[in-house]
Amino acid sequence: MQKLPLNIALWYDEAFSQHEFFDQAKGRSGSSWIVKTGEAQVDLWNTLLPGMFQQVRLLTEAPQKGSTIAGVDAILVPHIEELQYAIPAHTQIKVYEIWLRYRFELLSPSGAPLAEWSMTAYGKTPTAFLQSDEEAVNLAAVVALRDAGANFASQFRRVAPLQSWLANHLQQGTGPQQLSSQNIHSETALQTQRGVAQ
Amino acid sequence: MRCLVIIAAAFITASLSACVTSTVDEALFNSPSKGIGDATVVILGRRHASDYETEPGFIDCVGKHITAHDPSIEVIDELSFINELYPWFEPRTAPLHPQDIELLLQKKLVAQKLQALGTRYMIWIDGSTVRSDSAGSLACGVGPGGAGCFGFGTWDDDSSYEVTIWDFNRRAEVGRINTTASGQSYMPAVIVPIPIIAPVQVTACDSVGEQLLQFLSSEY
Repeated sequence: MQKLPLNIALWYDEAFSQHEFFDQAKGRSGSSWIVKTGEAQVDLWNTLLPGMFQQVRLLTEAPQKGSTIAGVDAILVPHIEELQYAIPAHTQIKVYEIWLRYRFELLSPSGAPLAEWSMTAYGKTPTAFLQSDEEAVNLAAVVALRDAGANFASQFRRVAPLQSWLANHLQQGTGPQQLSSQNIHSETALQTQRGVAQ
Repeated sequence: MRCLVIIAAAFITASLSACVTSTVDEALFNSPSKGIGDATVVILGRRHASDYETEPGFIDCVGKHITAHDPSIEVIDELSFINELYPWFEPRTAPLHPQDIELLLQKKLVAQKLQALGTRYMIWIDGSTVRSDSAGSLACGVGPGGAGCFGFGTWDDDSSYEVTIWDFNRRAEVGRINTTASGQSYMPAVIVPIPIIAPVQVTACDSVGEQLLQFLSSEY
C-alpha cells in the first residue's frame, strides 16, 4: 500500500490493550465465555499501521488537551465498542462467528478532536472434526482481526469525517515538526517497513 | 481372544470404505497446450457466504493432488499467498470478477508481487461438504470385565464445489468446473465399532484435481 505521508501517533488505552469480552452462561446447560482480544489487537495495529503511514509512533501516556505532541500530524486512538460472538449451539448454523465494532478518534497533536468514525469487522470459521469450540472461536477472532485490518486499510481514504482533514493536510504538504515530546517511547517507535501491499 | 477381535476390526476398518457417487461438469477454454512452464498457480477458497465456508483443507487437498501427479506445476500455498498480498485477498477485498484483475494490477506493489510470484492462473473454489442426514444409535460401556460398544449409526455427506479459473495474462475466466459428490457412511458396533466411511470430500477433491490437471498439465 502506498504510504500516506503522515506521521501518526498511536495511543492504546487500557480498555483497548487489555480488551476482553465476558458472556455469563444464561442457564445450567450453557457455558460462560471470555474472549480476550487485547494482545492480538495491539499486535494487529502495530503491524498494519506502519504499512499505511510514513511514520507511526507509539505513545506511552494518554494524549491530553493543552499538551502538544511535536513531530506528528495527528493522534489515532482506537476503541472497541462492541464484540458479539455466535456458536453453532446459538444459531444452528455450522459456523462460529465474531463481530467487532470499533470507534476511532483522530486528535490533533494538541489533543483536540479532528474526526471520529466507526468501523465493523467480521470473522467466521466452519465447524471441523475434532475442533473444540474454543479453537473455532479463536480462529473466527483471527479472521475478524484480519478483516478489521483490511477494512481500515482499504477504506481509510474514504472515511467521510476524515476526507476534508486528509485533503487539506496532504495538500498543504507541511511536514511535521521535529520529534521532541517526552511521552513518545523511542524504543517502541514503529518504523518497520512491514505491512500492506498495494 | 479380545486382542484378536481388535486386530480383526482394525484390519476390516482399514480395508472397508463405503461408496461415493460423484458428478463433474467442466467447461475449459484456452488450455495451455505445453503446460504452464515456469508460471505458478494459486488456489484460493471463496469465503463470502454467510452460512458456510470453503474448507482450507479442501483447498490444500486439491493443491496436493495437482503437485503429486505433476510435480512440475508449482501451486502456491493459499495462506502464504493471502498473507503476501494482505489486505487485497481477504473476503472483504478479494476480486469477485475477472474484470477486477485490471483494478488489482493497477496497485503497483500488488502487480510487482504477483509478477515476482509468477502467478499466471488464479483458481477460485467455492463450496463445502455438509452432513445432510444421520440416523441410528450407538452405546458404549465400561465394566469390570472390559469395555465395548453396541449399535449401528449411519450418516450422509454431500459435497458441492464450483471452481473458476482466471488467467492473469488474458485478464479473463478460462474455465469452470462443477463437482458434486455424495455418500453414506456406516458404523456398526459389536464390542468394537467398525467405521465404514464414505470418502465424500476426498472424492470431490480428486475429481477437481483431475480436471485441473487436464487443464494445467502438459502430461494429461
